[in-house]
Amino acid sequence: MSQNTISEVVKLKRRLYVELLRLVKDGRLLENISDLSKKMITKETPRYRCCEFKERAIFDQRIKAVMGFNIAENKEKSLKELAVSMTQQQKNKNIVEVIDTACDSCPIDKYIVTDACRNCVAHKCVNACPVNAIVIIQNKAYIDQDKCVECGKCAQACSYNAILENQRPCSRACKLDAISSDSNRQAKIDRKKCVSCGSCIAACPFGAITETSDLVQVAEELSFQESKLVAMLAPSFVGQFGHQQSAAKVKYSLKKLGFTKVKEVAAGAEMIAAEEGRELEEKIKKDKTLLSSCCPAFKSLVENEFEELSDLISNTDSPMAVTAQKIKNTNSDLKTVFIGPCTAKKAEALEDQNINYVLTFEELTALFTSYNINLAEISDEEELNDAGILGRQFAYAGGLQKSLQEVIKVDYKSKQVDGLKRLKKELNLIKADKNNYNFLEGMACTDGCIGGPSAMINQQTAKKLVQKFAGII
Amino acid sequence: MKKNILKICIGTPCHLMGAADLLESVERLEPELREKIELKTSHCIDNCCDQAPVAEFNGKVYQDLNPEKLHKLISKNIR
Repeated sequence: MSQNTISEVVKLKRRLYVELLRLVKDGRLLENISDLSKKMITKETPRYRCCEFKERAIFDQRIKAVMGFNIAENKEKSLKELAVSMTQQQKNKNIVEVIDTACDSCPIDKYIVTDACRNCVAHKCVNACPVNAIVIIQNKAYIDQDKCVECGKCAQACSYNAILENQRPCSRACKLDAISSDSNRQAKIDRKKCVSCGSCIAACPFGAITETSDLVQVAEELSFQESKLVAMLAPSFVGQFGHQQSAAKVKYSLKKLGFTKVKEVAAGAEMIAAEEGRELEEKIKKDKTLLSSCCPAFKSLVENEFEELSDLISNTDSPMAVTAQKIKNTNSDLKTVFIGPCTAKKAEALEDQNINYVLTFEELTALFTSYNINLAEISDEEELNDAGILGRQFAYAGGLQKSLQEVIKVDYKSKQVDGLKRLKKELNLIKADKNNYNFLEGMACTDGCIGGPSAMINQQTAKKLVQKFAGII
Repeated sequence: MKKNILKICIGTPCHLMGAADLLESVERLEPELREKIELKTSHCIDNCCDQAPVAEFNGKVYQDLNPEKLHKLISKNIR
């Protein structure tokens, strides 16, 4: 997420995208893919692991994910072997995946006593512990990890802040507790809980969690003489491809890259606003609650953990699905590529045959880079005007709620909640019948799609640019 | 005319490697530093896209930057 500046881990990943895509562009993928890690990681490049050989082994696993393969299932296969079979592969169901060779098996003891412990007289930690897990050994407090229930009371009680909360970054980032450790103490993702939000990918300082990608396949299709690819830009795309790069220039650049058409997903969002509005009016009459359906991570959260509430989810398709359907209706030979800030959309697309590929903003920027398309040096534009305010404001939290208020004439109460942790709390309230509204807009990412894991600019700037594009400000 | 000129490359390769973070960090500079700097953007500096993101401060090119490095080089070289 772009509130943190990009790290070396992110840079390395993006460099890999660019180099791999250059191989595809030059038709040298099969020939050179086995040597890519050797070329990119030399004795001189900064190293984070024991030796360059391990560094390269990890890199090779990462390449497999970028080619769209499941890392664990294809661990023994060579890159070349996989590159040959790329076109026939079944799409990988696990979007977010741990690279086991890269996972550093961070400590899993949640609370530890540091050297700052002074063995004081008060022993507030010992007194605070509800399960008597703290003993004093050799002039220092010691936590018996077999007894510890990880309540954190000792850490709060210590006058010297000597007790450290030591949670793994990946599991701290996961608001749905989907990450645990396996018998080797490596991170393990619980597929029943994971909604592919992508938070853990950004959180891991070792870059050990990665996402599968359609990048290489899209690049292969772009190299065909007559590409049939249609770019579908998510409403949050405005401003994501460089400082002061207009929407019209992005459209021109996508065509230059080889896309045959460029469409705004906001057009689909506008249709959703009308349809979901009708659905909501029915609910208001019966005084029932409706949950929004456009964020796939929110929808998965309801389905995974609040089965009894899944009937409340709107039956309306997502803006991506509606837009893709419209494109396929005009010509079923066309292939759709959704371009957004989101990893969860990759999971949603697996269930929808109208969507052929999903790219993130980050991946598309790498694609531009590898094809030497520098938007800052392009002055041509092509008008992009598929949608109005009601669709374009879906890009940020509260936008959908606002669009519905526009289309519905009767008075009703609605609520907007963003962030998975807050959503979980809200869903518990609904479950207990303690909500006083008819509509809940749920967005898994803070601030909505503009705060997505693959957004390239900060949320505040992005929101302003979207509003400007929509004509709101 | 301000005494110091900072040029940040906003070309696509630099954008990919965090040019937006650099631009933002300039606005967060201490006011004493910020008011002495004229901020410009560039389409490409020196063709060194493999070392992105790139910026030029008072005529000298700096590669593989991040907001922290940019802050340091500005504090050190400001006139």
